Amino acid sequence: MSEGGWFRRLLHRSRPAALGLRRRILLTITLGAIALSLFLAVTTYGLTQNSLVRQAEDAAVTTSLRNAQGVFRDLRSNPSTAQPAVESLTNIGVTRYLIRYQEEWIGGVTPYVDANLPEQIVERVVDRGIPSRQIVDINGELNVLVGWDVPGVGSYFQFSSLEEQKSTLDSVRIALFFASLISTGLGVLLGIFSARRAVRPLSTAAQAASAIAGGRLDTRLESTADPDLGVLTDSFNDMAEALQLRVERDARFASDVSHELRSPLMTLSASVEVMEARRDDLPERAQSALDLLSSDVVRFQGLVEDLLEISRFDAGAIRLHMEELLVAEFVRQAVAVSAAPKLRLEVSERSEMALIRGDKRRLARVVANLIDNALAYGGGEPHIVISVVEPDDEPMAHITIAVIDDGAGVPVEERDLIFERFARGGGAGRRTGSEGAGLGLSLVDEHLKMHGGRVWVEDRLDGQSGARFVIELMASELTD
Amino acid sequence: MVGTRILAVEDDERIRSAVKLALEDEGWTVDEAESGEEAIEKFNRCKPDVVLIDIMLPGIDGFELCRTLRRTSDVPVVMVTARNDTHDVVAGLEAGADDYLTKPFAPKELSARIRALLRRIRPSAPGHARLVFGDLELIPDEGKVLRSGEEVHLTKTEFRLLCELAESPGKVLSREALLDKVWGYDYFGDGRLVDVHIRRLRTKIEADPANPRHVVTVRGLGYRLQT
Repeated sequence: MSEGGWFRRLLHRSRPAALGLRRRILLTITLGAIALSLFLAVTTYGLTQNSLVRQAEDAAVTTSLRNAQGVFRDLRSNPSTAQPAVESLTNIGVTRYLIRYQEEWIGGVTPYVDANLPEQIVERVVDRGIPSRQIVDINGELNVLVGWDVPGVGSYFQFSSLEEQKSTLDSVRIALFFASLISTGLGVLLGIFSARRAVRPLSTAAQAASAIAGGRLDTRLESTADPDLGVLTDSFNDMAEALQLRVERDARFASDVSHELRSPLMTLSASVEVMEARRDDLPERAQSALDLLSSDVVRFQGLVEDLLEISRFDAGAIRLHMEELLVAEFVRQAVAVSAAPKLRLEVSERSEMALIRGDKRRLARVVANLIDNALAYGGGEPHIVISVVEPDDEPMAHITIAVIDDGAGVPVEERDLIFERFARGGGAGRRTGSEGAGLGLSLVDEHLKMHGGRVWVEDRLDGQSGARFVIELMASELTD
Repeated sequence: MVGTRILAVEDDERIRSAVKLALEDEGWTVDEAESGEEAIEKFNRCKPDVVLIDIMLPGIDGFELCRTLRRTSDVPVVMVTARNDTHDVVAGLEAGADDYLTKPFAPKELSARIRALLRRIRPSAPGHARLVFGDLELIPDEGKVLRSGEEVHLTKTEFRLLCELAESPGKVLSREALLDKVWGYDYFGDGRLVDVHIRRLRTKIEADPANPRHVVTVRGLGYRLQT
């Protein structure tokens, strides 16, 4: 049925075209995690670098000041030569220095020579006497260069390597890189988790919706404390409730109508029978009218019974009385009480002893409905073929009962449609249009589904014009 | 069967009238009752041969009416149910009905049912004077069953069912065979008729109805009577 159809369409429509909600959440959280990791890494690195460099500079300033004081003391006490100053520096192991004394550059080991001193610092320290520091790159190695000057005496420059700080910073960088990787990874995991969590109510709702579409109308979403989801849950459940009420009301209406129709039908059929017993006493015209009346009372009765059966299906109130049936015997009996008791029956040797499990009275209706259908639309003499089919991929054999007629057949595009309720097939013009209310085949379909079987219509296998209605049931056993 | 009286209990006046007309065409006399209370009063007065009861009655319902009649009588009862659901049919049979019909039914079907019930009242094969199965004793000609020498009260249908089983002692009779022999049904008769009647029969003739010694079920095949 199509009750759930609109809902399914709605669900399909609301599915976004490009990226799913889950992917969008995942993407957002992942990007966020990457950005946050990068920001934290960069900031940490910058702060670490600053503080390391400042510490190194401070240390360089302190040591160079101490050394400069020693140098200037030595120069003052022995103004003729810088030699003692150089010696005392060598004694304490200082090598990367330059002394400017009496317009001369003293000391210095390659590459820490005056040629590599930036001009500005020389100008500031030597010419203007301002103590200065600067980070300089000497052959790829960073150094803090500190310069001191005592006017009238000389200037002192000292290089302090930043290599140690650089390697520390390298380790910090590697550590930060991996930390960022890990936190990004955690972010992705968090994203997956949150996306799942966020989408879970949606997939639950989708499952519930397809359950409803599948006919389980009492399906509801569990109520939740989450106020955001609560809105969805409540309105979904309200919708399901309304839908269920409506479907049930429709089904009850059909059932009530059929029940109400029974009583007048009882009176009608009993009265018609009384009249039929006196048919010969009636004038000819009244006889014709009586014949019309009685045949339509029978039809009416069949229709009401079909409607009742259908409403039982809709209410899920069908209980099958399953029995083991010898299929050939069953079909013979069903044919005997049908509208065409003399119908030709072909039973393969193998199917003669085949057993099925079924509700024989309901299955007899199935056979009778197919025979009625063949008589109404098929024309000519229908016949029935019973055979056993043993599919390769299934352990159990199937029994097929085919009702074959000589009519115009059923066009391919109508082959599913004719099993719908009150469908009469587009070929109504070709067929005897007034016969058959169109519930018979849908009942056949429903009964077979209840029995775990199926029904379909196809062309005749012998290539002649006509329809072949096949019902297929599981064999419960083959008695050899 | 001329002179047969039928009591039709049905609250819908139109159905009652139409059914009365159809049954009278069979040559039967039909008394009508529109409620259970009226039915009990008419039953005692008219002594009908068959009672037709619609389950849906105002006041005491069809099940209750059937149980009330069963307390004093073994008259054949046909129930008319609105649905052929397990519940209504089995409840009706357990209340003591011999057969049932589902509305709307053809009056021809009803008269066929009534004829089958009437046939049962006069057992056809008085071949044996007495049949003995352990502590059970059947006297078909007198329509009597004795258990340990005491008479057991069976309805006509129960008696007929027991007789059919006794005709071929030790042999398994399928549900279909019993439906045909006792109720006159074809292949598509309702097996529940047999099952419920067998159950009722056991409560009367078995010492322990839950573990029957005489009327045993043969799974998938049917029933068998043994000593």
